[in-house]
Amino acid sequence: MSRTLRPALAGLTALAVAAAITLVALSSGNANAKRPARNAAASVVQMVEGTFPQSLDPGLDYTTQGSEINWVVYTGLATYAHKNGVAGAQLIPGLCTALPTISNGGKTYTCTLRKGLVFSNGKPVVASDFAYTMERALKIPWGGSGAFLTPYVVGAQAFASGKAKSIAGVSTNDATGKITIQLSQAYGPFTNVLAFPMLGLIPSGFPMTVQATSPPPGVGPYMVTNIVANTSFEAVPNPYWSKINIPGIPSAKVSVEVKANSNVAANALSVLNGSADIFDWADNIPGSLLQQIQAKAAGRFRYVNLGGSTYYIFLNASEPPFNNQLAREAVVTGLNQPAMSRIGSGTLVPACYFLPPDIVGHPPLPNSSCPYGNPDKGGNIAKAKALLKQSGLAGTSVTVWSETRQPRQAWMTAYTQMLNQIGFKATQKLLSDSTYFTTIGQSKKLHPQTGFADWNQDFPHPVDFYGPLLDGNSILPTNNENFGQTNDPYINAQVKKLGTVPTTQLQSVAKQWQALDEYVAKKAYVAVFGYEKFPEFASSRINYGALVFQPIYGWDLTSFSLK
Amino acid sequence: MARFLIRRGLTMIALLFAISLVTFLLFIVVLPGGNPASMLAGRLANPSEVQLISHRYGFDQPVYVQYFKTMANIFDGSAYSYQSSFNVDDQIRQGLPTTVSLALGAGIIWLLVSILFGTLAAIRAGRYTDRVLTVLSMVGVSMPPFFLGAVIIFYLGYKTSILPINGYVPFTQSPIQWAYHLIAPWFTLSVLFIGFYSRVLRSTILDTLSEDYVRTARAKGLSPRRVLVHHVLRTSLLPIISLWGLDFAQVIGGGAILTESVYGLHGVGYLAAQSVGKLDTVTLLSIVMLTAIAVVVLQALVDFLYAVLDPRIRLA
Repeated sequence: MSRTLRPALAGLTALAVAAAITLVALSSGNANAKRPARNAAASVVQMVEGTFPQSLDPGLDYTTQGSEINWVVYTGLATYAHKNGVAGAQLIPGLCTALPTISNGGKTYTCTLRKGLVFSNGKPVVASDFAYTMERALKIPWGGSGAFLTPYVVGAQAFASGKAKSIAGVSTNDATGKITIQLSQAYGPFTNVLAFPMLGLIPSGFPMTVQATSPPPGVGPYMVTNIVANTSFEAVPNPYWSKINIPGIPSAKVSVEVKANSNVAANALSVLNGSADIFDWADNIPGSLLQQIQAKAAGRFRYVNLGGSTYYIFLNASEPPFNNQLAREAVVTGLNQPAMSRIGSGTLVPACYFLPPDIVGHPPLPNSSCPYGNPDKGGNIAKAKALLKQSGLAGTSVTVWSETRQPRQAWMTAYTQMLNQIGFKATQKLLSDSTYFTTIGQSKKLHPQTGFADWNQDFPHPVDFYGPLLDGNSILPTNNENFGQTNDPYINAQVKKLGTVPTTQLQSVAKQWQALDEYVAKKAYVAVFGYEKFPEFASSRINYGALVFQPIYGWDLTSFSLK
Repeated sequence: MARFLIRRGLTMIALLFAISLVTFLLFIVVLPGGNPASMLAGRLANPSEVQLISHRYGFDQPVYVQYFKTMANIFDGSAYSYQSSFNVDDQIRQGLPTTVSLALGAGIIWLLVSILFGTLAAIRAGRYTDRVLTVLSMVGVSMPPFFLGAVIIFYLGYKTSILPINGYVPFTQSPIQWAYHLIAPWFTLSVLFIGFYSRVLRSTILDTLSEDYVRTARAKGLSPRRVLVHHVLRTSLLPIISLWGLDFAQVIGGGAILTESVYGLHGVGYLAAQSVGKLDTVTLLSIVMLTAIAVVVLQALVDFLYAVLDPRIRLA
């Protein structure tokens, strides 16, 4: 039978072969292009990122991906220097002629708008646009408004809750361009708050709701166009920027086409083979590709410690077992940071101090001076065991909370194993990334014992770390960020006192912040396990030497240029 | 026909209601992480801000009010993602051409190749060809798309640059680039189905070959080719077509999550994956509704095809 069936099978085979030939023929249409199709325009740079920004409307976005773009689209009254390293954390005047003057015991901020400012749609900028911008951020509301605006700006809470028609603490004069902001209490980093892209000016009258695909015009070197939801957008040079000369803010040299693709490995390969140009700094390069990239892209890839982020394990100091200092010391002593760094493809810088290196107050001391062993050397399990035994808490059950994303989950797995090695009965509990922090933030309901935590600076001021994360006054029943519920009178008093010192005068209290940071390390309130290094990776088309990797916002798009 | 359509319509409404209710309860009422307002408010929100958001999005209203409001928004096209404020319908509309392109190409490939492989394996049952095809089928069924995709991207995309690493070009922009960018995703998505379908078809053909009417056809002196094509395949294809309809509908409704994610195809599957990651409940609900509608509609079409292939089956 099979022999006589051949004609029928031959028909089916022919059909399949025809389909294959069609595919091959279609693909051969691109035979001349060894590389995949890409934008042919020479002045367009393609950036690939694993996560699309939460929003390109600055009134909503509170993500690293969004801030990176919005920073160069919406300039605030103040902004940051477009420089690498610590120099990039320096505040410079933005739309105001100078940095705001601070008076009335740190409670009044005043500045005057520059002349001749226009939005990217050509409309002139007036001082009252600032008041409108802040009102919009409160109404939407922007993710950071509850932390940086409503607690400090007079009348902000009343406006946000609908009890007032305007923000009482903001007064503007369109004729003179003068802007005055009254705070209810001194807040040292308020000039940094004014530099948030969210407070970058937008025109009055722009809708008070989020405009996800047609964000407001701004004043900056770039403007955003062609937004395709969760897929792509373009940052193109603002045509009006050349008429505005703000010292320290460069013009855009190229257009940037940003494409989101959750397959980060494919993104890395695209940059390696030149079908994309810039790899998003906030994405992790998969360990399996690291060697290849290091070998083939030696001159256009490196890891950079931006100096403004800390990875740590929170230890709930309000409940057993970590209300016992010896138990906390045991954890810090046993932590094997080099091993954890290896798990993270070598992207962690072993450390023991809570403040990262570029934040004022970070102790400029070698790791050998850390109170519970040199983190470069790996954990001392025997000593940790002895400490736990001494505490009388060996055998205590501990739940380790963890996100599911890698390498964070793997870090917490290693940590759980270490806890079991030293004598705890530890189990790991995994939560979805999107609900992790809000879940463990339910301090009164959940009572989380220990787990993963991190913090990336909102601005280079130590109170951005100590305020929400270790100040006892910031413990909240929900959305709590002081996961360890640390409530130490000394920390609380220091944060209250030092937190009022303006960013521009931080050096005057650097020693006191340092003393506080050393105190926290000594008390083992948190188990710091490193500062993260981020990938600075570009294609061979890019002028790599000219790239600026800004410590707060990452890639500075104004530094992008082609060879 | 009218009875068939009415019955189908009522089934579809009941099914959509049940699915929407279960999904809503799972993702909105039993949301892991508690109050969705807390999640939306972000890490630094204070209680009054959480309360404000809760009120704005209606999370402080009774569950049934939330359900009907959400469903009304989904069906009238005014549903917005809580997280990003993008219009959900726009996002699905934007992703559908990519998903349909992927599903069409892959669906044709997996149907044709599995018919070829299944038939070959059946008529060569127990012989070398059958054993080779069995092994290939097993490999196909066991090959996860994320692994196969990663291998293809690395070797054919990065190492040799034969295929693009990722991305999608609309058919209207360039049919050649459209096909070129979809070759690898088509292949990756098809492999799994080919393995499964060819095994099912092989088994069905072997069963059909021993049926009385096949023996009768042979006894009547019909050529083996005619027996195979007109009598054996026609009947044996029924379960395959039924399966194909369901699988095709599932892919259209976002079922190709892994393939779309691996190749960076911003289709409905990619959107579904992103929405799950962000617990973007409104978008998820909309995608679930789309899948349900696609499955029900395509199943109805499959029933029509059944009637064509097997005259004994009547729609009513």
